[in-house]
Amino acid sequence: MAFTYSKLASTTVGAGGTSAITFSNIPQNYTDLVLKISGRISIAQIYGAFWLNINGTTTNRTYRYLEGNGASASSGSGTNTNISTGEGNSNTANTFANVELYFPNYTSSNYKSWSTDSVGENNATTSYMDMYASLWSNVAAISQLSILPESGTILQYSTATLYGIRVEL
Amino acid sequence: MSITRLTTNGLTGTKYDTVSADNYYMEPIATTLLASSQATISFTNIPQNYKHLQVRAFGKSTTTSDQDLRWQYNGDTSASYSIHYLLGNGSGAFAAGAANNTLIRANSTLVRSTYTSVYGAVVIDILDYANPYKNKTSRHLGGSENNTSGQIILDSGCWYNTAPITSILFYPSSGNFDTYSRISLYGLKA
Amino acid sequence: MAITYEPIATTTTSGSASTLTFSSIAGTYTDIVIIGQGSASSGTGINLRLNGDTASNYSNTILYGDGSSAASLRQSSVTSINFGYFSTGVSDFNGSVMNYSNATTYKTTLSRRNSSAVATSAVVGLYRSTSAITSITLFTDAGVTFTNGSTFTLYGIKAA
Repeated sequence: MAFTYSKLASTTVGAGGTSAITFSNIPQNYTDLVLKISGRISIAQIYGAFWLNINGTTTNRTYRYLEGNGASASSGSGTNTNISTGEGNSNTANTFANVELYFPNYTSSNYKSWSTDSVGENNATTSYMDMYASLWSNVAAISQLSILPESGTILQYSTATLYGIRVEL
Repeated sequence: MSITRLTTNGLTGTKYDTVSADNYYMEPIATTLLASSQATISFTNIPQNYKHLQVRAFGKSTTTSDQDLRWQYNGDTSASYSIHYLLGNGSGAFAAGAANNTLIRANSTLVRSTYTSVYGAVVIDILDYANPYKNKTSRHLGGSENNTSGQIILDSGCWYNTAPITSILFYPSSGNFDTYSRISLYGLKA
Repeated sequence: MAITYEPIATTTTSGSASTLTFSSIAGTYTDIVIIGQGSASSGTGINLRLNGDTASNYSNTILYGDGSSAASLRQSSVTSINFGYFSTGVSDFNGSVMNYSNATTYKTTLSRRNSSAVATSAVVGLYRSTSAITSITLFTDAGVTFTNGSTFTLYGIKAA
């Protein structure tokens, strides 16, 4: 029996950080993708977002989010490649955001929607958490995912793991 | 089929793994299902060969108020944690946070004894739980609904300690876990 | 080693479907995961019924952000759980029926619903029956149909 839930690839950012983490040549024989990120970026603020390029593109994107900042809840929307809150470098040291993206039917010939739940943590009242609904209005199968910081670099010890879920009955 | 190329467009120290895609990802580590009420549920000697942990909990309180599901790592009862939440209760959406806590919690996950047979639920994801360079951040989606009131919450917590997690102690904010409460621990493979 | 996360069933809609049912669900898992992606003829809840029960044995609490406001709403004693949501554009949802095979407790659901055109939300639901769940029905609001090619998949998760 082929396994349902498989790890496809994993990376850990080394010393000096990186400008992006890219998963290329994503196998096309799964049904859904799950991307888990434990990450921190170099921007000197508490809020540090992750951005996502799909198949090397940044266009045809929409999202809507719900956010908490440790004091109040808010909601917004946009069309850039923002996918989640992350962890900026003004947060408590050695602390990394916990982010999960779920891409159903990533190889289908329909547009691609996905779900994101993300939390940054900080040993203070202020910290950010988000739920995102995102859409890439493109019928191409997803073959490449690139995670980028909104500014600066993704810091050492950040990790990203890509999993495939296969429906094979 | 394997991913054969995994890159970072950056500087030194990049690590990438190419592994067979057909490996087995999610494994159950342990489950506690209560046959009678109990004050705590603990998982000890957690294997260190996974990458992430997931906890799936289904719980009820023995008290007449809804309780939080609380936990601590590696027996640490000091003020080494922070907690934040984003909550909806049918009336509004709220957020809050607290520093220097002695615990992490999933809000209002344990339903009061008043509502017979009603249990709350939460899924907790702890990434890089065994990483010796990182504090441990958890993300939790959970809540409870009793046909009179309800709460749905995205919570988070952090343990400010880079030690790998080897044990987790779960307990209610007050009272005991009621019969048939269940906590299941899963490992997500490295 | 036994498989922990296992597909149970999947279906893709065609024609003017507004309801689909997964039946004869085995009791060998601990939780059921439901994944759905697609769109509809107009914005609609993806409503969940269990064991074909059409009585007012359900309730839910929802937290949502619609791009302008963060808010929450509740429903008591309704005839289904508002588990997912589809707009006319591609949307998705994912969630769990916890302890579905347990014959002593009511059933709690947790789900995330995502439509970039409308809202992102999280839902907790309750089905007030101690019966083990053997069938799951997903259906649209009245007068609304699924767009062809909408997909729905069940997975089972086993505990230790």
